[in-house]
Amino acid sequence: MKNSISQIKKALIEKKISVCELYDEYLAKAKSCNNNSFNLVIDRENNISSINDSQDRYDNGNPLPLDGIPLGIKDLFCTKGIRTTASSKILSNFIPNYESFVTQQLLNDGSIFIGKNNCDEFAMGSSNETSYFGPVINPWKNKNSQKDNLVPGGSSGGSAAAVAEGSCVASMGTDTGGSIRQPASLCGIVGLKPTFGSCSRWGIVAFASSLDQAGPLTNCVEDAAYVLNSINKHDFNDSTSSNHQREDYLVDINNSFEKKIKIGIPSDYLEDVSEDILNQIDNTKKALSKHGIEFVDVKFKTTEHALSTYYILAPAEASSNLARYDGIRYGVREDGESLDDIYLNSRTKGFGDEVTRRILIGAYVLSAGYYDAYYRQAQKVRRLIKNDFQRILNEVDFILTPTTPNEAFKIGDKLDPISMYKNDIYTVPTSLAGLPGISIPSGLSKNGLPLGVQFIGNYFEEKSLLQLAALAEKELSFNE
Amino acid sequence: MSDIDIKRISYLAKLKLPPEKEEFYSNSLKDIIKWVDNLKKVDTSKTEPLHNVTEKTISIRNDEVSKSNSVDDVLSNAPERAQNFFKVPKVVE
Repeated sequence: MKNSISQIKKALIEKKISVCELYDEYLAKAKSCNNNSFNLVIDRENNISSINDSQDRYDNGNPLPLDGIPLGIKDLFCTKGIRTTASSKILSNFIPNYESFVTQQLLNDGSIFIGKNNCDEFAMGSSNETSYFGPVINPWKNKNSQKDNLVPGGSSGGSAAAVAEGSCVASMGTDTGGSIRQPASLCGIVGLKPTFGSCSRWGIVAFASSLDQAGPLTNCVEDAAYVLNSINKHDFNDSTSSNHQREDYLVDINNSFEKKIKIGIPSDYLEDVSEDILNQIDNTKKALSKHGIEFVDVKFKTTEHALSTYYILAPAEASSNLARYDGIRYGVREDGESLDDIYLNSRTKGFGDEVTRRILIGAYVLSAGYYDAYYRQAQKVRRLIKNDFQRILNEVDFILTPTTPNEAFKIGDKLDPISMYKNDIYTVPTSLAGLPGISIPSGLSKNGLPLGVQFIGNYFEEKSLLQLAALAEKELSFNE
Repeated sequence: MSDIDIKRISYLAKLKLPPEKEEFYSNSLKDIIKWVDNLKKVDTSKTEPLHNVTEKTISIRNDEVSKSNSVDDVLSNAPERAQNFFKVPKVVE
């Protein structure tokens, strides 16, 4: 088992390892793993003052909550003075002058960034194959075909692979329709998407603003709580940031529930799924039933409309958000005779196929004559989906679903976009409803690949969601 | 679903698709639009559109002056600049 944040902090406090040695250990791993999980790795010299400051705090006996912990940061978070590309050609030379709110909180709590994780271009993808810097390779191999390179999932594929390969203790990802939970599941780690509005979007390269949410990818549930404690704060710079009172997510995380817990399993999610996936649900059910948790069947009315709704709303918002890339103020400029030519050439050459496709979908569903039929209709159906979840969450405390419909697949295997989009069938509905979801490893497939289950909780109830996930994790944990 | 005018859509998105790729994107767009067309059948006559999923009111803060973004910072990533300006080809004759 890999070391958890609390184990590493203990070793640092007891001086069994120094902050610098710890950093070097992870850095060596980041440089030696050939899974392409980083777009950029930060050498020790460039982090030396943070490393020394952190060591001083340990030496003085007052370390910060994440002091000295090497983290990977998805290359979608603006990091001051550190190249931030969104894995796109158009931003391949962009060096932000400011730090995103979320990464600033992590720095304030003493963590040290080891590098920027590869991801799908502008976070658009479910396999990390759309990155301008090439695909990320899943550290796991199919035991029946060891030679094949598998996808890590996406879009936070580099963040997931980096944690799984052991080149950072934890990483930051973003989730729009499953981009934290799906790769976490395919790489055998924990991925948490908090409630929309929990963690500020300020300084995160925007994809779909009504859905984007930052969250941690970690080796264990407790680590997710450590990171969430740091990043879950109100921010005036994000108008959708909620200003409710946050809790300490580490307190009580290992305690059993005081009240009787009821979990709903949507039976319509389990139609036509493979035995491998069904096993995950059965195992989880068995493991938690031992703790007196009750399981009931629940039925959604809107599941069949979730992906359609998402693939109208997300591209529409993306098309609008990505209008800012014009080759004038930042990013790569392509030559052109006129101002218009510069726009056209910079955008056409700067965006990859999937991003271009989504911009086109967005432009179409927002265009005159189609806006009401597609975009506005999708916004209405989104309310029905939200209402559907609220109805279910009035009956049960949590919802249990598979995280993904399949195990990690081969790089290059899924070529048509619709079959790729269907990877997010279990994560997209939660995103549309804005609810928090966590994926934890639940077992291995017949091919020896990791699979995960997703727990969904009510708005801003990450604390009990983490408590449940921690309980399930104890029962379901498996070693590589 | 009516036909998709890929030239018009790409113009709206300020993209100049290479002629050999127009069909690729056009077919792809048609497939996806056909796939999402099932939404039209959903009865939403009594449903309001949902914009912000948590529907919390926007927080109000005091209007205090703070220092951020110097001119040099803002221009530091510009592909071309001239003094304190972004530089582009001439737009007026």
